[in-house]
Amino acid sequence: MRVSGRKEGGETRVDPWSQAWERAAAGAVAVVDCGERIPCNPCEEACTRGAIEVGEDICAPPRFDPGLCDGCGRCVAMCPGMAVFLLDRSVGNGRARVTVPYEMGEEMRAGREVWAMDGEGKPLGKARVVGAKKRGGRAGTTLVTVEVDEGWALKVRGVRDRLITLEAPLEAEAEPLKEYPLCRCEEVSGPRVGEVAAEFASLRSLRRFSRVGLGYCQGRFCQDMLRERLARAREMEEGEVGTFRVRPPVRPVKLGKLGGEDA
Amino acid sequence: MPEVLSSEVVIIGGGVIGAAAAYYLCKEGAEVMIVEEDDLAAGASGACDGFISLQTKQPGVHLELARESSALFPSLAEELDDDIEYSPCGGIMLATTAEQLKELKARAKKMKAAGLEVETLSPSDLKSRLPEVGKDVKGASYCAQDAQVNPIALTLGLAHKAQEMGATILRGTKVENIVVTNNRVREVHTSSGSIHSRRVVCAAGTGSNRIGKMIIVDIPVMPQRGQILVTEPREKMLDVILCGAEYLGTKGNIAELLPQDEEAAKLGLGFTAEQTASGNFLLGSTREFAGADAATTPEAINAIAKNAMYYLPWIKELDVIRSFAGLRPCSPDGLPILGTVKGVKGFFIATGHSGDGICLAPITGKLISELVLDGETSLDIEPLSLYRFK
Repeated sequence: MRVSGRKEGGETRVDPWSQAWERAAAGAVAVVDCGERIPCNPCEEACTRGAIEVGEDICAPPRFDPGLCDGCGRCVAMCPGMAVFLLDRSVGNGRARVTVPYEMGEEMRAGREVWAMDGEGKPLGKARVVGAKKRGGRAGTTLVTVEVDEGWALKVRGVRDRLITLEAPLEAEAEPLKEYPLCRCEEVSGPRVGEVAAEFASLRSLRRFSRVGLGYCQGRFCQDMLRERLARAREMEEGEVGTFRVRPPVRPVKLGKLGGEDA
Repeated sequence: MPEVLSSEVVIIGGGVIGAAAAYYLCKEGAEVMIVEEDDLAAGASGACDGFISLQTKQPGVHLELARESSALFPSLAEELDDDIEYSPCGGIMLATTAEQLKELKARAKKMKAAGLEVETLSPSDLKSRLPEVGKDVKGASYCAQDAQVNPIALTLGLAHKAQEMGATILRGTKVENIVVTNNRVREVHTSSGSIHSRRVVCAAGTGSNRIGKMIIVDIPVMPQRGQILVTEPREKMLDVILCGAEYLGTKGNIAELLPQDEEAAKLGLGFTAEQTASGNFLLGSTREFAGADAATTPEAINAIAKNAMYYLPWIKELDVIRSFAGLRPCSPDGLPILGTVKGVKGFFIATGHSGDGICLAPITGKLISELVLDGETSLDIEPLSLYRFK
């Protein structure tokens, strides 16, 4: 099977996907399907073999070297965007094994029949779970391995235990939410941020007094929205708003680890 | 031409001390203007913990101030519209050596003599009051009057209430000069224009030194950095404010209680822990002289984490989500500098709280209001005068 080439910055690079595809013939390897320019690097941190590199510019999409990957799956569990999966073509017979993260709560066990889903959340078809491993943190990500036809192998991005299908379209559209949380960690609503922005003109003060960005994610998910709110409330250019002062640790870290205990 | 403003009283500094002074002055009907270089609680008041700790004060005027101040908090919690998250939770100070325990017992007696109830607790007493503590903990002292507040909310609450009573807050406004003629303050020059005023309160924290120079007075405050770790929010696990005896050793420069470890001594490391109303643990802290650098450092972060695990072993399971540092205005003897200035009528100093600003803000605000409006105070503040250092 040929994998289509991808372009980046107008210039065609050696497609990491084709490399991963080749490498997967010998056993599990990560496929990093991430082109997002967002400040995010847990995949780089997760990889103990240096196969994934984000580098100085934390917004750069990760570069991946399939040659260094041993298919451990840490990056699959760590990626908050669920943009990494494992591919293993060593089973042969036109079949492939795909390992995806699963965080829906139900216990996944080998033998279970599930739906294999594509990147847009559409079902590709039924698949058999051949392995399930608990991984990582409080989120309790499970790495679920399913065996599928090789033709689907690069399309599977998730599994579902059961499908909910809508027989008929909803009759009326729901009212738009008025009090949506702009900051989910601290549960601060958009209107509340507007109130605080009416009094405080700097991003630092807005964070201090609204608590947006002081929660578990430390602003990784809400900072941009907050900056946009402030720019709008104060009629500033986004460039004038500035950014949060980042203080270590950049990501949540177990206190024991900071205190020198082996994790 | 910039606008010419005027106010009965100008307060330099929009931290907790300036906000408290504004609040108590406004309550007495004074016309007040706060001039703040950055924004409310942008300095030490926005980068500290929320300890209202009485048992860590020095017996004498320091403890007297703290007791009076702590008595004002419940009424503030009532009067202010913002929720200041005040909790009369009590406080525990842990000893990890026999020498420390002996010292804490001796101090408890002294505190009792000075009118503050401090009990000593055995390790078994601790079981009922605290989750599991480190194996080296030999005992503790407990003060029921110790309490907790949200320092940012407190600053904001005081400023908002003062504003409601007519105070003006000039943010992003830097004081450039103070005009004194015939031995009296007349005018404050700022980046937003000139303010005519015959009474100026310097509550500028670590910036007080710069302000003092404008009237040729040396206000001896040095920025002292305190670093703090913040954990993820959790369900209520700790319902007292907690510190180690070494914290008091470093703070009060008490030889018997100073950290033994050289690295810890260099950082001025002392264990503090509180769980805030939002569930986060604030774990401290350091006392370092590092100039105006308010950055956090890897050495201090590691040392604070290690120290916290030593006192509370279970805390190692929590995620640390942030660190921060504040620059405390530190005076040579660790006591605030309150009072007037010889030869310059109408200039009042309220700074140098040395890490006690939150705890002492209400009484400082009240005393400054009395001093500014009546010329005398309900508590003798002579021992806190600038001239004690000479």
